Amino acid sequence: MSEARVPPFRRAVIALSGHPGNDRIVRIVSQLAQASKAELVGVHVVEVDWSQPLDADIAGRSEVAQRILDRAEEVAEGQGAALDAILLQARDVGAAIVDEAIEREADLLVLGLAYRMRFGGDFAIGRTIPYVLKNAPCAVWVVREPIPEEAS
Amino acid sequence: MFVLVVGGGKVGYYLAKELIESGHEVVLMEKDRGRAEQIADELGSIVVAHDGCEGRYLGEAGANRADIVTAVTGDDEDNLVICQMAKHHFDVRRTIARVNNPRNEALFRHLGVDEIISPTRMVLGSIEQDIPVHELLHLAALGGGELEIIEAHLQVDSPAVGRTPGDLTIPEGCSLFAVVRDGNPLPLRPDHVFRTGDKVIAIGRTECEELLHEQLIGSSS
Repeated sequence: MSEARVPPFRRAVIALSGHPGNDRIVRIVSQLAQASKAELVGVHVVEVDWSQPLDADIAGRSEVAQRILDRAEEVAEGQGAALDAILLQARDVGAAIVDEAIEREADLLVLGLAYRMRFGGDFAIGRTIPYVLKNAPCAVWVVREPIPEEAS
Repeated sequence: MFVLVVGGGKVGYYLAKELIESGHEVVLMEKDRGRAEQIADELGSIVVAHDGCEGRYLGEAGANRADIVTAVTGDDEDNLVICQMAKHHFDVRRTIARVNNPRNEALFRHLGVDEIISPTRMVLGSIEQDIPVHELLHLAALGGGELEIIEAHLQVDSPAVGRTPGDLTIPEGCSLFAVVRDGNPLPLRPDHVFRTGDKVIAIGRTECEELLHEQLIGSSS
């Protein structure tokens, strides 16, 4: 098979933070998946701090979490792709996403990054993306949102 | 069991590692962000990069549901504050503190720390076992530190030499129970006459130590 025909990925895990920019990411990845018949897994992680046991019933009761997953499925369907939406409860978002990608043998992990500045003007990348970039065994795509007009 | 370890130095790191390997749930608090990241790289997402001396961070780290809080920073004051907060604010059943300066041990006990680990005292104990000293040797602490097993190595000038246990004024709350003579442990009998070189083993309350010292070793002055 020539390199041009190799699909960009076979199974992608998309991290769903719930940010409005998620729609754009799901749409882009769904279009690519649909063309190559790749599998899509959408993962939303509810972080549980240490004051509660990891198996505390938090994520299951979260309507917000459910809405995030439903929305991702809907957007993927709109592109003709099927997305398997998963809700996880973990101590750390980055570690949970990487673990899920490993578990699913994904060859691509996709995350969104909002354009934000810290107080003082430094660009804020947060702690999840550096963790995933450092630890994910598969390819990682970080989709940064466009710079908002008022910030440019 | 859920154990909260405060302090990410060598002691804290290896303690957390061993506990994880034994299957316990562990959180480690380390205020130095760089060190915290280094430990997280090794042990996974079990590190809270905040100061354990601050109540709200201790809460975020799960002190409210910890079975044991152990404070092993290199700073006695911090360790005391952490155990006090864990005990009184979060109602933790068992607190364990590392005490670097042996002079602080009494204060830690007085303020209700359940268990005190003094590396300095341990090393001192090992040294004293090999070097004859005119002091009592602390072999072990029992009952959360209220009781101690003590060894007195009788020297030629000991007031106990040539006398029987009944001739001595043993303070209340203290009991002599064995003697090691020429390397052989013997139960202490009422007719046993103490000799130079005997190692007398006693168990007693920490406050009895001074009187016991007078009877077995001699006056401190």
